[in-house]
Amino acid sequence: MDRRSFLKGTGAAGLVGVSSGLAGPALSQGAAARTLRFVPQANLANFDPIWGTQYVVRNAAAMVWDTLYGFDDTLTPKRQMVEAEQVSADGLTWDFRLRPGLKFHDGTPVLAKDVVASLTRWSARDPMGLMVKALQNELVAVDDRNFRWVLKKPYPKLLMALGKNSTPMCFMMPERLAKTDPFQQVSEFIGSGPMRFKRDEWNPGARAVFEKFADYVPREEPNSWLSGGKRMAVERIEWLVMPDPATAAAALQNGEVDWWENPITDLVPQLRRNRNIRVDIADPLGNIGTFRMNHTTKPFNNVKARRAVLTALSQEDYMRALVGDDDKLWKPLPGYFTPGTPLYTEEGGEILKGPRNFEAAKKLLAESGYDGSPVTCVVAQDQPITKAQGDVTADLLKRIGFNVDFVATDWGTTGQRRAMKNPVGQGGWSMFHSWHAGADCINPAVYNAIRASGDGAWFGWPNIPAVETEVANWFDAPDLAAEKAVIARLNKAALDNVVYAPTGFFLGYQAWRANVSGIAKGPLPFFWGVSKS
Amino acid sequence: MFAYAVRRVLATIPVMAIVALFVFSLLYIAPGDPAAVIAGDQATPQDVERIRASLGLDRPFLVRFGEWVWNILNGDMGVSIFTNLPVTTMIQQRIEPTVSLMVLTLCLAVSIAVPMGVIAAWKQGSWIDRAVMGFAVLGFSVPVFVVGYVLAYIFALELDWLPVQGYTKFEEGFFPWLENLILPSIALGGVYIALIARITRATMLEVLQQDYIRTARAKGAGQRNILFLHALKNAAVPIVTVIGIGIALLIGGAVVTESVFAIPGLGRLTVDAILRRDYPVIQGVVLLFSFVYVLVNLVIDLAYTLFDPRIRY
Repeated sequence: MDRRSFLKGTGAAGLVGVSSGLAGPALSQGAAARTLRFVPQANLANFDPIWGTQYVVRNAAAMVWDTLYGFDDTLTPKRQMVEAEQVSADGLTWDFRLRPGLKFHDGTPVLAKDVVASLTRWSARDPMGLMVKALQNELVAVDDRNFRWVLKKPYPKLLMALGKNSTPMCFMMPERLAKTDPFQQVSEFIGSGPMRFKRDEWNPGARAVFEKFADYVPREEPNSWLSGGKRMAVERIEWLVMPDPATAAAALQNGEVDWWENPITDLVPQLRRNRNIRVDIADPLGNIGTFRMNHTTKPFNNVKARRAVLTALSQEDYMRALVGDDDKLWKPLPGYFTPGTPLYTEEGGEILKGPRNFEAAKKLLAESGYDGSPVTCVVAQDQPITKAQGDVTADLLKRIGFNVDFVATDWGTTGQRRAMKNPVGQGGWSMFHSWHAGADCINPAVYNAIRASGDGAWFGWPNIPAVETEVANWFDAPDLAAEKAVIARLNKAALDNVVYAPTGFFLGYQAWRANVSGIAKGPLPFFWGVSKS
Repeated sequence: MFAYAVRRVLATIPVMAIVALFVFSLLYIAPGDPAAVIAGDQATPQDVERIRASLGLDRPFLVRFGEWVWNILNGDMGVSIFTNLPVTTMIQQRIEPTVSLMVLTLCLAVSIAVPMGVIAAWKQGSWIDRAVMGFAVLGFSVPVFVVGYVLAYIFALELDWLPVQGYTKFEEGFFPWLENLILPSIALGGVYIALIARITRATMLEVLQQDYIRTARAKGAGQRNILFLHALKNAAVPIVTVIGIGIALLIGGAVVTESVFAIPGLGRLTVDAILRRDYPVIQGVVLLFSFVYVLVNLVIDLAYTLFDPRIRY
């Protein structure tokens, strides 16, 4: 070999090396169009939707695990895995038949015994499931495709329980997984939904990957939220976790991601200016801002102190702190149920309407016998929603005349502290801030926060028999008119006794690249029907 | 020197034991509850309590600590409360981006900061010196995340030269790997460059006053030789010390940089674990960082012998 041919050879080898090192774009154009890159609201740190009930887990799980029924955009439960159902005349026996051809991602067929095991696990964790379980006489697989649920008492809301989108949703798993203790994580992530979870590509905190399940048989009906044909238009969905909203905004503008679930309001004007980006409301059911007062300790164990707060509370102050000047994003909420849904009512809401009356609030506080002792106001600073609300509350309380002990902490600590029933000053608390998804406030069945059963109620432990009576009446209500009448009474009783303080109703945005189509507004991101050009 | 190195390695054992006890105790007394995070906002207090029990978080301190230490001694760092994955697996998933970021930043910082410091010392009082010192002040003063946002805005959004976020594995190609790391490395390197440049300048100024430098000049040695062969080698010990100490700066800075540039590294893993109270992961990562830091200090101590023949172990 002479010097020249040696140089040619090594040069060519070098070029090959460099070009392979340079490596073109990771995805070809065709592959890029088949891959949807999505920035979720939070990190998918675990993936058992019954064990962990965070919304981000539910949202990912809805792709991987299918449900027997699913809510459509009118909040009506529609058949999904179920082909037909029949209820006996006395309302006690429900017979269900599964659709033919349903398969799990490991290739095994979905059988009635899988459904029975899944229902058993779900009903140990879900509030509605627990109610059904309490009424259950028998839940059995009749054969491979049929199962029967026999109750001791009619439960008219059964299909709603099976199709609702509040957490934990009633997902179907293989029997071997569904037999896992509901308070422990499943060891595999095998479902029968339209996408398979790529566990080998899962990097918790960074990335989760889903791949189209070729054997999925969608329903014939057009899709609407969790119902109808879940037809996937992309082959692969990558969830890219971005803790910093500014980074997510820049990545969307730069075309590095296709869809961002929850852009913060401050960045929306910047996104709107980009002609390659579309911005719209994410979930028409929105959210309800809240703070809960501790009904078991002074001063909020006295209803007058709680009403003093509501008398002076300006929901506009809270909402502007949360969403700024965008009036499309909020509305006052003189009640507890989600605006725009069938059971919404303002009965008893006068206390939250009209000009705020600080003099009346001070008078009520004096009548409550408040002695000036500190009110421990727990505010998670790492959640923008709780932080903004907490700042407004601190000012509100001071103006009424409370002695505020403002505890700035993080969400993890709030989660622990709010469960403590100790007196204030010994680790206890007087109030904490939170928010509820509107989808979880459409009726009492999915609405833990409205319950007022004392020790068994949500944090703050309100004990208001009038509220619980109406909740029971709602479950037995025969039709929508009767339900509305019950809910009006419930709303009034809850506001009169201040189960919690609603700080207003607010919406959020979602944003996506202009080459993505089929994105729906809904309480969770629906990936079926979403395509990319 | 070998015996010294062995002694130092053995000395890390009590250090790591103290770190382990400290970290475990700190997490035990710190407020927060992973069970509440897992259970979600709608969960009842009873649900939270049952999850806590199933995770073994209701057991006494000594039982949990003893079990953890025993597992560590058997090479088992435990399993993440949330992901159910072994902590070692999670660290393996995240270590490459962080090491890449730190190595590139280190190379970038040393190759820029040392010549800057040398030249500033050489041209003491000139505009070059003042510019270097001005840059150093800026590097110290401007937070990493601000530099990160500005760089991303200019080079990714406006010029479209580089990606805003993410990480490409080295095995997928050198240039894609580099492309993702350039901006984060510059952002993270700012404070490090400032630190090294300042210490290099200060040490060089001191060395340049020494008699042997005057002698070298008198013998007609060239300026480059004087600066880089005679002076820099003698100034190297404090510079190397600062480079080593700066590793701690890099570890801290990596947490912020990885968040700003969405790099799936150990820094983000640490922050996520802390926010969720994922105790096994926090303990594992802190132990790892401590071990790396102890190791870096050992390497620096050994490196002194290369620069100063008077140092013997």
